[in-house]
Amino acid sequence: MGKQLDLIQGTLDMLILKAVSLGPLHGYGVLLRIQQISRERLEIQQGSLYPALYRLEHQGWIASEWGESENRRKAKYYRLTAAGKRRLQREADKWNRMAEVIAGILGTAPEEV
Amino acid sequence: MSIVSRLVSWTKAILTRSRLESEMDAELHFHIESNIADLMKGGMSREEATRQTRLEFGNPDVHKDDCRSSLGLRLWDELGADLRYGGRMLRKSPAFTAVAILSLAIGIGANSAIFTLANGVLLEQLSAPHPEELRLLSWISGPKLAMNHLWGDTSKTATGQYTSTSFSYPVYRQLRGDNHSFDNLFAFKDISRFTVTIDGNAEVIQGEMVSGNFYQGLGIGTVAGRPILPSDDSAPGGEPVAVISDAFWAQHFGRSQAAIGQTIQLNRIPVSIVGVNAPSFLGAQLGRAPQIFVPLSMQPQLIPRPEGSLLEDASYWWLQIMGRLKPGVPVGKARSDLDVAFDGAVKSTLPIKRDTSLPRLTMLDGSRGLDYLRRDFAKPIYVLASLAGLVLLIACANLANLLLARSAARQREMSVRLALGAGRMRIIRQVLTESMLLASLGCVVGLVLGYAGRNVIPNLIANSWQPNLLQLKFNWRVLAFTIAVSVVTGLLFGIAPAWQATSADVNAGSKEAGHATPARGKGLAGKIIVVLQISLSALLVIGSGLFLRTLSNLYATQIGFRPENVLLFDIDPPSTRYPAGQGVAVHRRLEEKIAAIPGVESVTLTSDPLIANDSSIDTFAPTGRTPHAGQPTEAWSNHVGVHFFETMSIPMLYGRGFDEQVTATSPKVAVVNQRLAEQFFAGENAIGMTFNSGDEKHPIEIVGICANTKYENLRSEPPPTFYLPYVQHEDPGLMTYEVKIAAVGEDVVNSIREAVRTVDKDLPLIDVRTQVAQIDATTTQERIFAVLTTALGGLALVLACIGIYGIMAYTVARRTNEIGIRMALGAQVRSVVLMVLRETTWLVGIGLALGILVSVGLTRLVRSMLYGLGPIDPATLIGASLLLFAIALLAGWGPARTASQIDPVSALRHE
Repeated sequence: MGKQLDLIQGTLDMLILKAVSLGPLHGYGVLLRIQQISRERLEIQQGSLYPALYRLEHQGWIASEWGESENRRKAKYYRLTAAGKRRLQREADKWNRMAEVIAGILGTAPEEV
Repeated sequence: MSIVSRLVSWTKAILTRSRLESEMDAELHFHIESNIADLMKGGMSREEATRQTRLEFGNPDVHKDDCRSSLGLRLWDELGADLRYGGRMLRKSPAFTAVAILSLAIGIGANSAIFTLANGVLLEQLSAPHPEELRLLSWISGPKLAMNHLWGDTSKTATGQYTSTSFSYPVYRQLRGDNHSFDNLFAFKDISRFTVTIDGNAEVIQGEMVSGNFYQGLGIGTVAGRPILPSDDSAPGGEPVAVISDAFWAQHFGRSQAAIGQTIQLNRIPVSIVGVNAPSFLGAQLGRAPQIFVPLSMQPQLIPRPEGSLLEDASYWWLQIMGRLKPGVPVGKARSDLDVAFDGAVKSTLPIKRDTSLPRLTMLDGSRGLDYLRRDFAKPIYVLASLAGLVLLIACANLANLLLARSAARQREMSVRLALGAGRMRIIRQVLTESMLLASLGCVVGLVLGYAGRNVIPNLIANSWQPNLLQLKFNWRVLAFTIAVSVVTGLLFGIAPAWQATSADVNAGSKEAGHATPARGKGLAGKIIVVLQISLSALLVIGSGLFLRTLSNLYATQIGFRPENVLLFDIDPPSTRYPAGQGVAVHRRLEEKIAAIPGVESVTLTSDPLIANDSSIDTFAPTGRTPHAGQPTEAWSNHVGVHFFETMSIPMLYGRGFDEQVTATSPKVAVVNQRLAEQFFAGENAIGMTFNSGDEKHPIEIVGICANTKYENLRSEPPPTFYLPYVQHEDPGLMTYEVKIAAVGEDVVNSIREAVRTVDKDLPLIDVRTQVAQIDATTTQERIFAVLTTALGGLALVLACIGIYGIMAYTVARRTNEIGIRMALGAQVRSVVLMVLRETTWLVGIGLALGILVSVGLTRLVRSMLYGLGPIDPATLIGASLLLFAIALLAGWGPARTASQIDPVSALRHE
């Protein structure tokens, strides 16, 4: 396990949408899944997860429902809505384009200019 | 999408707030517990895991706050907190709160009441679908009118042309035939008096005669039975059917379905009720509420004229015509099309001489039907609305001042808030919330006042013997207006204090222990507001002075007769029972019967009662003379009874009055007033001279000259008038009886009623009133203005008084130190008092000067409403100035005394 990276500003929303797109999750589950997929390389402020979840639900991209957790406790489960799915698609596209451009710029050798 | 979901989520969050909070707790708790459990699985002790989780998770309260922010609840929560805080502040100073709310409520209530009036009178539309599609026909013509008789409104334009909305029936028939631009051209005429007899009881009601397509054209139906149909109006003579108003239905039939099909007598003609109008439909003339609607075709039976049917008379113009524009037809095209038809109709029905002016068709907005209300009330309403607006402004100024003083006292609080990191916007918002809280409380109380006062003005307009027809509705429009006014008010008086609050200096405020020495500018702001307040009050006081003096001038004028102890009522023998020629006989009999009643001193009757906004003008042509250019050919006329001059106490100057020898067949005689004698027979003896009026064959001899009397109203000078004995009138019709009695009382009226019943039991006494009340009724508008401006002016003075007191008390408090030093150095009590009063006088002087300056500009606008004085009236200006100075000294006296009682020693220790 290498050093953890701080989350780049504004990417938490996208990560939550992605995490939830793989199946309904409760808040703690979202945290676990992001850590799991990222192979523990991302540092997420646990508390800041919830304001983000509330914001996404407020905007209608995810929806919540109370259900029962794996250890038989009541937990609030979030799932992706249709609008959220479109949103994730758009965000992902944007991110990929951006990453490509940045990578292109950073990868430029002096003789290429 | 996002906005919708955000709105839904926000609303849900607010509505299920407590559930949201507990769910939020549960959710965070679950997270923490799960994390602890996972850590413990990894081998940590419970304490260790809890500590670790707490570190990783952070403060749950902070996250919850962020969650609420995410849901957009933050503003809401802060608003709630501000409101609670504002409420606490208001409760803490109940006197301030009461004064503030009351002064706001009075200002807002006055505006609300006047808007209710404006809403009913200026904005109300006909109760028909899409009233905006309706057009009212009208015409405009040069001075040589083609038609002989006009029944209805005629007005003269600035260019000397005549306009009217009256048409003849033959013209209406032709227009209808040639119409292509309107769905329906329908016609109506309001009849102010029908005598209706139900079960033997006679009563006078208003009616409307309508064409058969009237209901179709307006697009309205009835709530019971059927409307008047084209078939009712097709045959001459017509079907004797009637539709009654909802009010009439309720009053006479208790809203029973059995009313349909019943036969009632209308002007003694049996008509059967076929339908009932909806409660909201009050006919096609605004401000009227006819109780019965009959087809136009019944005119010859209902109101017969010796000259024949109005339906065939092309020279008699009386009918109003309206239509609903066909969709897609431009107004201009509709007008020009119909104008062609109109021109043809006029030429084919009227004899057109070479110099006759041909009328041109014009179209008016018909959404309000035939509308005299706007013409009569628009200007008074605008004036009243401006006055009410002024009062509200003064209330605003007052409140702004009080709040400014308070915000000075709260300087320390604001400094602390700023020091603790509150943003300036946040503080402005909080202070504004307090102002808005005050404004909304004022709005609520103002609405109550406005609702209670909505009928005050209509009741002032109504007179004692006629019901108030302006039943004003308190609808959503009034509500919206009142709320809007309150919001603007709140912003207006709240902005200065809010601004002031944020200018607090973080350091200065907290260093000084509560009683700050505020910057110079603050006292200045308060003084400017007080000056403003005084100038506005000066405006109102000057206005009320002008209207009060107008009223007293009106009542001080010489009317030329004695109105005391004279009882008035109208008798209208229906022509259906008393055809031409028989009217005189019934009036004669009534006159004799009434004269015989004990307590009655003398009786007369007139075709036009005096000072009742009523007069007749007829041609007056001295026999054998050709009038030279510029000499009038007309004079005012009145048909009167034999005892007219003694009943009204009009002195006979030369010759004699009328006596019992004058009959319908005896030579025609007249009495003229002095002005007429001077105007037509200057330098000659008018007695014995003859003149013609209308009838060329029977010249009239002048037998007496009486003193001048005012005729139509109190404002106009006595016009040149000639009086004719009514017995020589062929068809007097409705006459007003004047009965001079020893003392006005109900029993005399009852005796008179009894006497009339012995002559004809179906003749009702109409509009019983005293001559004094009749005169009062013509000065309604003047009295409304005098009463309202005086009330508003008084209110303004009280508010100004509070304002002056406040600012002076504040100034004295601020200068305690300085005054103490002055006194320690030997200043006299007198000079300290004078110092304070001098400052007060300065404030008032400047405010007054401003107010007078503005009033000079504004009072010109009400020039036509004044009487006996110009818009710049020195007496009023001087009176208003003295009053304001007196008030100012009164208000300044308290603070001046406080200043004079300052103890130098304690004042120096003061800080």
